[in-house]
This record gives sequence, structure tokens and C-alpha cells, in this order.
Amino acid sequence: MPLRQQVVFLALTGLLLLVILELVRRRRLRVEYSWVWLASGASIVLLILRYDLLLALTETVGAVVPTSTLFFLCILFLAALCLDFSVRLTTLTRQVKDLAQELALLRHSRGEPAPPTALRAGEREHERGDDRFR
Amino acid sequence: MRTLIVIPCRDEARNLPDVVGELRSVRPEDDIAVVDDASRDGSAEVAARLGCDVVRLPLHLGYGAAVQAGIKLGQRGGYDVVVTFDGDGQHDPADVAPLVAAVAGGADLALGSRFQAPGAYQGGPLRIAGRRLFAALCGALTGLALDDPTSGLKALGPRAQALFASSRFPDRFPDADALVVAHRAGLLLTQRPARMRASRNVHSMHDGLRPFAYAANMVLSLLVAALGRARDLRE
Repeated sequence: MPLRQQVVFLALTGLLLLVILELVRRRRLRVEYSWVWLASGASIVLLILRYDLLLALTETVGAVVPTSTLFFLCILFLAALCLDFSVRLTTLTRQVKDLAQELALLRHSRGEPAPPTALRAGEREHERGDDRFR
Repeated sequence: MRTLIVIPCRDEARNLPDVVGELRSVRPEDDIAVVDDASRDGSAEVAARLGCDVVRLPLHLGYGAAVQAGIKLGQRGGYDVVVTFDGDGQHDPADVAPLVAAVAGGADLALGSRFQAPGAYQGGPLRIAGRRLFAALCGALTGLALDDPTSGLKALGPRAQALFASSRFPDRFPDADALVVAHRAGLLLTQRPARMRASRNVHSMHDGLRPFAYAANMVLSLLVAALGRARDLRE
């Protein structure tokens, strides 16, 4: 890999890592979610410094050009990330449901009048696609 | 038997007075709780005026989560039986007694079945085909012989209440899959005749592609319920 490319990519990756660290530091990104990004940044750095590793990897997976290996890895990484988000969304959905039920039951047990419907006019509602209520 | 009748509802303000009135005249001893799934038509106010217990969900969560909120209420209130009863007028209050009796007789869950009741409303060909499919899948996966597994009319004893109040309840599509989960958790299931009527609501399963999406989700959910890890079912 030419030195010029190495310098440019290292600078960009370094910037990415700095942004991630800064997001974590400002508590905009939770620590447990940051490691995936930090790990991906670190592996980019590794592949820039040790281009022979990428070549060896290309050889191993049977790809023709190193770029294909790189793109393949990127897509794999993004797919894994999406799957991870789906899993987290599932957890969040269940937690929101449980909380909403608890809130409704708590209000009921305290005899509090339920507030008017939470949805304001013009507010788009997430369609649950629930046939039993259609 | 202390019985709580749970009516999950979304935008049923027009139907609630009749549904609740009919229930009251047939089942004067039972408590009635209306779980309002963030209706936009004042269903909760109507239910409160009718003297029902009203549990109002702050967000629209869907049928399954609304039913589950009602079951949680019943379980915490220490009811012997919780009956789930649709708010659109398709269930007949006279069918509640046999279900409650079945639970009193030792069943954990009693299901109202339209196929046991001659002359019950069956719905269009699509609905009939869907029910056949779910019943066949249900039977093939678990050996359960329930012929109307998508029925919303159920009576739950304490064990079924505990199961359905937990995270093991498939709250997104709680039909045949919930029964499979109950069966696999070792609960005793039974069915009784129910003279289903046509829903009073014009909009229903027949809108566009919804029925197909529902059927596809149901099949997947059934498979998940049937193939899920056994140790997740016992707690």
C-alpha cells in the first residue's frame, strides 16, 4: 500500500476513533455500544499497517482482489450490527410494553383518572398492524 | 369462583354499552375490567361511565399487550378465573358460564370454540381457511386437538394467568401460539362451545393484505412457540 494512502486512511480512521471516544465521553453513546465501533476502527488501522494480513485473508477466503475482501467484511459487519440492533429493539419493545402496562395498572390501583389519550392531533402513530383490533 | 371479565378494546365506544350491558345482565356477580388500548373515540370514558374498572394503556400496544394487562390485573387481584372477552360484540355472555365451570373443574385454560356450537358465525372463506390452517399446525406441532385456536374467548385459571402475565406470553400475536406455549408449559387445556357472532365493526381482517401478513406472522409465531427451548417455558 502506498505511503500516501496509508497516511490518508490512518488520519481518517484516527478521526473516526476520536469521534467515537468523544461521543462516549459526552454520554451520547453508551459504553457498551461503543466497543463495536472501536473494534472496527482498530481493525481498519491494523489492515492499513499490515496490508499483508489483508492479502493473506484474501487468499484464505478465495477472493481475487483485496478490495472484494474488504467490502465483504464491511457488509458482514453491517449485517451483524443490524442483527444486534434488532435484538436490542426486541428487548426495548418488551420493556416499553411492560412499563406501559405497569403505568396503566398503577394508575388504576391508585384510582387516578386516566389522562386524555396520549396521542396529540397530527402526531403519527406507529401502526401495529394488529388485526384483532381492526 | 371470583371471576374477572377482561374486555380489551380499541375504539369500541359505540359497542361497549351493549357488550357491557349484556354481560351485566347475564353475569351480575362478575367484575368487569375494560383495558383501553389508547382509543381515540373516548372508549375509556364510556367504560368508566358504565361503571367498569378501566385500565387505560398510555400507548397503543396492540391486542396482545392489552389482554395481558387485563390478565395482570386479574392475577394481582387474586381472581380464581380471568375471562377474556372481545369488545366488538362477537362473544355471547352466555358462553362464559361453561368456560368458568371448566376451570372450576380443574382445567387451567378453557377456550370458547365456534365449531362446537352449531350455527355460530364462521366468517368468510379466508377466515375459515386460516383457522383450519392454524388448528392443523397446532395439532401437528403439539398434538393439541383444539379446533378454534384463534378464539379470543378464554377462561384462565391461576396457572394460566401466571403464564400469560409473564414474558413467555406471545404478546404480539396471542392466538394459537399462546395455546401451544400453555400446552408445552404443562397446562391443562380444554374447549367449550361458543356461539360466536359477527363483529359489529365494519373494518376487520379483510382489509387488503393484512390477513396474509397476519397468517404469515401467526405461522412463524406458532413455529417459535412449538420449537422454543423447553427450559424457557418453565420457571
